[in-house]
Amino acid sequence: MIAFRDVVVRYPGAAADAVRGVSFDAATAGLTAVVGPNGSGKSTLVRALIGRVPLASGTIALDDVLVGGLSGDERARRIAVVSQREDLAFPTLVSEYVALGRFPHLGVWHAAGPEDRRAIADATASAGVTGLDERRIDTLSGGEWQRVRLARALAQSAEALVLDEPTAFLDVAHEMAVFELLHRVARSGQAVLLVSHQLNLVARFADHLVLLHRGAVAAAGLPDEVMRAEILEPVYEWPLVVTRDPAVGAPALVPLRGRTSAGRPNGQ
Amino acid sequence: MRAGRWLLLVVALIAVSLVAIAVGTISIPISGLWDAVRGAGDPLSATVVRTLRLPRVVAAILVGSGLGVSGAALQGTLRNPLAEPYLLGVSGGAAVGAVVATALGLGVVLLPLAAFAGAIVAVVAAFVVARAAGGRGDPRVLLMAGVVVGAFANAAIMVLLANAEPNVVRNALWWMMGSVGDATWPQIGVLALYIGVAGGALVLFGREIDVLALGADAAAGLGVDVDRATRRVFLVASLVAAATVAAAGLVGFVGLVVPHIVRATGVRRHRPLLIGSALTGATLVVLADLLGRILMPPAELPLGAVTALIGVPFFLAKLRRLT
Amino acid sequence: MPVFRFSPRGVVAVCAAAAAIGCGSRGTGATVADSTRVDSPVGSRVTHDDFGRPLPTGADATRIVSINPATTELLFAIGAGSRLVGRSEYDLFPDSARLVPSVGPALRPNLEAILRTRPDLVVVYASADDRESADRLTRAGVSVVAFKIDNIEQFERDAIALGQLTGTAARAREIVDSIADTLTRVRAATADQPRPTVFLPIWERPLIVIGGGSFMSELLDIAGARNVYGDLSAPSATVTIEDVVRRNPDLILASPTTAATIRASARWRAVPAVRAGRILVYDTTLIGRPSVRLGAAALSLAALLHPGAVR
Repeated sequence: MIAFRDVVVRYPGAAADAVRGVSFDAATAGLTAVVGPNGSGKSTLVRALIGRVPLASGTIALDDVLVGGLSGDERARRIAVVSQREDLAFPTLVSEYVALGRFPHLGVWHAAGPEDRRAIADATASAGVTGLDERRIDTLSGGEWQRVRLARALAQSAEALVLDEPTAFLDVAHEMAVFELLHRVARSGQAVLLVSHQLNLVARFADHLVLLHRGAVAAAGLPDEVMRAEILEPVYEWPLVVTRDPAVGAPALVPLRGRTSAGRPNGQ
Repeated sequence: MRAGRWLLLVVALIAVSLVAIAVGTISIPISGLWDAVRGAGDPLSATVVRTLRLPRVVAAILVGSGLGVSGAALQGTLRNPLAEPYLLGVSGGAAVGAVVATALGLGVVLLPLAAFAGAIVAVVAAFVVARAAGGRGDPRVLLMAGVVVGAFANAAIMVLLANAEPNVVRNALWWMMGSVGDATWPQIGVLALYIGVAGGALVLFGREIDVLALGADAAAGLGVDVDRATRRVFLVASLVAAATVAAAGLVGFVGLVVPHIVRATGVRRHRPLLIGSALTGATLVVLADLLGRILMPPAELPLGAVTALIGVPFFLAKLRRLT
Repeated sequence: MPVFRFSPRGVVAVCAAAAAIGCGSRGTGATVADSTRVDSPVGSRVTHDDFGRPLPTGADATRIVSINPATTELLFAIGAGSRLVGRSEYDLFPDSARLVPSVGPALRPNLEAILRTRPDLVVVYASADDRESADRLTRAGVSVVAFKIDNIEQFERDAIALGQLTGTAARAREIVDSIADTLTRVRAATADQPRPTVFLPIWERPLIVIGGGSFMSELLDIAGARNVYGDLSAPSATVTIEDVVRRNPDLILASPTTAATIRASARWRAVPAVRAGRILVYDTTLIGRPSVRLGAAALSLAALLHPGAVR
């Protein structure tokens, strides 16, 4: 379980805190989603987790061990992170790329052993990219690339998996594939923490939802509890209704058209 | 990379080296080469080979491998295909050291030391400037600091040379054009030590460079302290480059072009890439030195000019493939 | 992101002319030296300078700026030294030259400093790099002549020319004739001595040697030796040690510093003459410059090469 307690983060030279006292848990064997408008601090939380930006105050702990106290390798062995974007200057093969996921375990000195090879094979299979081993990264489609990145993260054999916008630029089929995969990963015992814009898919798959607004937690709880118009509208500053989707009955957000000053819908 | 390709690389290096030892103003027959190296056989050949050719070729191998390794490591760490060993101001600082030493009349033994010292000062200055600008390990800030230091060194050299005696100018220019012909065996020994240790360290950290090449966020996610690791590569790669500059002056293009040549053969991971760059860089510099000696007799083309002449067409070809 | 690369080649472009001017005896074009003639070959009047421009006629020059060590020294020798109002930075012979104010380095003469001395004659070094300065000065209304003293014939001609320009033609003629006499004498005295091949490096890194087009090569010939690089028509050339090994000179003639560098160097041991210790040191102040002491220079060289042969 990843526990955020009163986390405050301020970027150097910024006028205000990017994250103001955020607390929540990403439970083990569950899928926790952090949502919120642009600039609400979602990505900053991920960066603080991997040490790219320092914590001004507060703690982040993994199973009661402070993440800040772990060495980089230790942290990477326990938490696998898939960042928002990644483009390689020098393209490599999928198999080599996924194998880099074992770096926290092998470091510079050790050679890969049977355990590492098994982890790589399992990760490749779980992410559904087994046939892509010999492909070059720069020849993959958006969906394939995203799943390959997931495979690398899974190869880290970590207890927790953190993803920042894993389905950006993916079409619906690939999006669903990723979410179903994450759901399976969570069920298999890892703590999955997801930052996403995709409110509807998140509402369908997440066990726990944390809504951020201007760096603070605006609401947290089950999707049903958080996905309410009266909660979401002030945060997203857009008129919307929340209904039930006809497929599985999960809460679904429907944005309304913007109002003109005369109160009539646009175009009339 | 296939074993066959590695073999080809090594064979190419050996072959070019043998030719470089045998060929020159005075031609040594290949059959007499081994005798000449041992000091037996025809005394003229033996003298020429042991006193003139062998030091050059060994120095060329070391300089080329150092520049190749350094360039490949920096390109991967910075994720920039245009990075090269001199980018932290190494060449500028070394040139200032050499010009100052020449102007003070310090003599041929102290000149390489002065060049090395100048290079190290420049690298340290780049780090200090980067720290003052607020980015301790951020590659972009370090790069810009290197540019600043290099530009400053450039200006300093022009000031020094503008009012110097003609002899000082000539000496300085000659040094800046690069040559493996001036290295003595003791200098070569020191160079070998640097290349072996520092270059070896870079190869060892090749796996870390693979991770750094993924980008700062991804690398941090895999547990690497990106700032510290980047600084480490910069420092060690610059040390290697400074050692080559002390021994042979400024030899451009090798560190830039060689990693691309090796990548074009399909090598991707950095450990084999660095080793391949060492071998290829060595071959390139031996070849360039050989060409410089035989293209315009009795004069010798500067090493830096020949490497540029070889490097530019290759680079143009690569640019064409990019567009 | 493009990376700025320090390119000393930019500096090379800026300072390339410096290397060319160098020690004053590197020609930009080949001058065919006629090294067999030592009697004064010029008629009694010189009509053009070494740029091929006609010499100014008219009143003698009274305010002269000379930006070339050789001509500065020559002007003093022919008795026109008191008329010098400006010299280049490194013109240090004779000693009284130091009293003349400097107008900057010879490479890029400071034209303003020159003009400020209100000269009626400026003597520049006749190289392509100085043509620009010469033209500018001419456009500014100043008389400019260009001389390049690479070989003995040029020395004699330029001495006469300077004598004409300063009204000291008689003294110039005296000097030229006296030098010619001495040279003839030395040549005769060494005529039937064995002629060793001699290698004359004037700079070690890069390796610059005296070629056939230089007065030093002629002096060697007069003093009874053969310049191993005499086949090169330029006054100087850049060569490699291997080439020297191939030509295998009998003797090496060098300045004290160059001789010391060669003796101390491991790679020079490839040359047999170095291994055998056949390195002779000459007095650079006497022999290194084409000055009025050419006669003494020839005597000194002959004494080095063939002791006891002259007088």
